[in-house]
Amino acid sequence: MEIILDRPRCEGHGLCEEVAPQLMHLDDEGELVLDVVHVNEDQLDAAKQAARVCPVAALRLA
Amino acid sequence: MRLERIVVVGNGIAGLTASDSLRAAGFDGELTIVGDEHHSPYSRPALSKAALLDAEEMTSHQLPDSTHDARELLGRRALQLDPDLKTVVLDDGSILPFDGLVIASGSRARRLAGADPAARKHELTLRTLEDALELRRRIADRPSVVVVGGGTLGMEIASGCLAAGCEVTLASHHQPMVQQLGPHLSEVFLAAGLSHGLKFAPSRAIGLREAGGHPLVELADGSTLAADLVVSAIGDIPNTDWLADSGLLTGGRLEVDSRGRVRPNIVAAGDVAAFPTSRGITRIPLWTSAIEQSKAAALALLNGDDAPELSFSPYFWTEQFGLSLKASGFLPLEGAPELLEGGPDGGPALMRWSHADGSGTAVALNYRTPIPKLRRLANPAPALVESPA
Ligand SMILES: Cc1cc2nc3c(=O)[nH]c(=O)nc-3n(C[C@H](O)[C@H](O)[C@H](O)COP(=O)(O)OP(=O)(O)OC[C@H]3O[C@@H](n4cnc5c(N)ncnc54)[C@H](O)[C@@H]3O)c2cc1C
Ligand code: SF4
Repeated sequence: MEIILDRPRCEGHGLCEEVAPQLMHLDDEGELVLDVVHVNEDQLDAAKQAARVCPVAALRLA
Repeated sequence: MRLERIVVVGNGIAGLTASDSLRAAGFDGELTIVGDEHHSPYSRPALSKAALLDAEEMTSHQLPDSTHDARELLGRRALQLDPDLKTVVLDDGSILPFDGLVIASGSRARRLAGADPAARKHELTLRTLEDALELRRRIADRPSVVVVGGGTLGMEIASGCLAAGCEVTLASHHQPMVQQLGPHLSEVFLAAGLSHGLKFAPSRAIGLREAGGHPLVELADGSTLAADLVVSAIGDIPNTDWLADSGLLTGGRLEVDSRGRVRPNIVAAGDVAAFPTSRGITRIPLWTSAIEQSKAAALALLNGDDAPELSFSPYFWTEQFGLSLKASGFLPLEGAPELLEGGPDGGPALMRWSHADGSGTAVALNYRTPIPKLRRLANPAPALVESPA
């Protein structure tokens, strides 16, 4: 599975980072950086949770 | 006691997060979610922001599918709870037994119109997906709109209606956003609204009636405001009706302890619950608050006193009239801020307020900054105490 970020939609709330710091982080400019794009089985739950806490639905899995 | 059957009442973000957290913490028993909305959870914050502006189809509110593998009873409402028998009665007459219960029934919109159906049909509120679809449909014809309520939601709705091309008057006896953000930022937001064409009626709305097929909002100063459409955003009421005879309410409120518990086997989280904060026992009906409460409550249900207490640091954001604000720390803010970066009045700016209790609140206005940095600015970690050599 792949994490897809809708960048124009992302508002840099960083809630995703709080649940999945191993997969993504906000850089010094407040831009979200996906450290992992292709998630393996062990990372899938964290990725899904990150996508779900985002209040603007900027993250998707496909 | 090992829990085998957990029931979650409410299928919003609190119910969802609690269910996820129960699974993540290893609960592999029977999990049932009861929700009276027919949808799986979606983002409510998006409803008053991007969703009002989404071009063709509304998508901004959608959340990915859940992974908790619970039995979901959607479109069903819990009517009654018996904490001693450990049962929840549903509106179809069925009875759900539980060993553990999560109360996440959220809140609903307060309304201005009384019982008069003629007046009621003119008043929209914005809480659910259906409300948002209806509002989008109605503002597509560019009606004149009166928004009642100068809180965050009222201002976001006013902003969305203006962007859709409506003429918008906001009625509020408080200066807009002053209760949420304090006088300094309230000025900034009101000025932004006025510059976008918002009209402001500084009076309390006391009623709504119909006259000649149109709604009339009655103001406390005796005047009225006519419009094609009235949208009220005058606060929310916690959904505690179904708990009325459960014995769990204190003066009508559902109060939880520092781990989200009402009883050892019953926890509550989200907009429905009042929890202990450094400002007393209170509801904080916000998105991140619901998420943090739900995580703590799920662990407390499984692990009791061994679970960590809720340590909540408030996070608030809003978008309206071209302003985007993010705040970490307690609100509202008294007095003038310390300007850390940027310029005064409308930003972009990074600001900080200090509170009497030693804590602080950091605010980014049209200023992109990582939230962890905002949190650190609000409350810097205490300097490390040097241990004696
Ligand atoms: C338009 C809007 C914009 C917002 N914007 C922001 C924002 O920008 N930032 C922010 O932090 N917060 C915002 N909020 C607040 C935030 O959305 C809420 O704090 C959060 O959604 C609360 O989640 P919850 O799960 O506790 O409650 P809810 O989302 O209300 O979920 C409770 C669910 O339980 C159901 N239910 C109720 N009673 C029963 C019953 N007896 N049986 C079965 N089901 C029941 C309800 O129908 C509902 O589906 C906004 C809210 C709204 C309405
Ligand atoms: S939670 Fe959503 S908006 Fe916030 S940084 Fe993550 S993707 Fe962006």
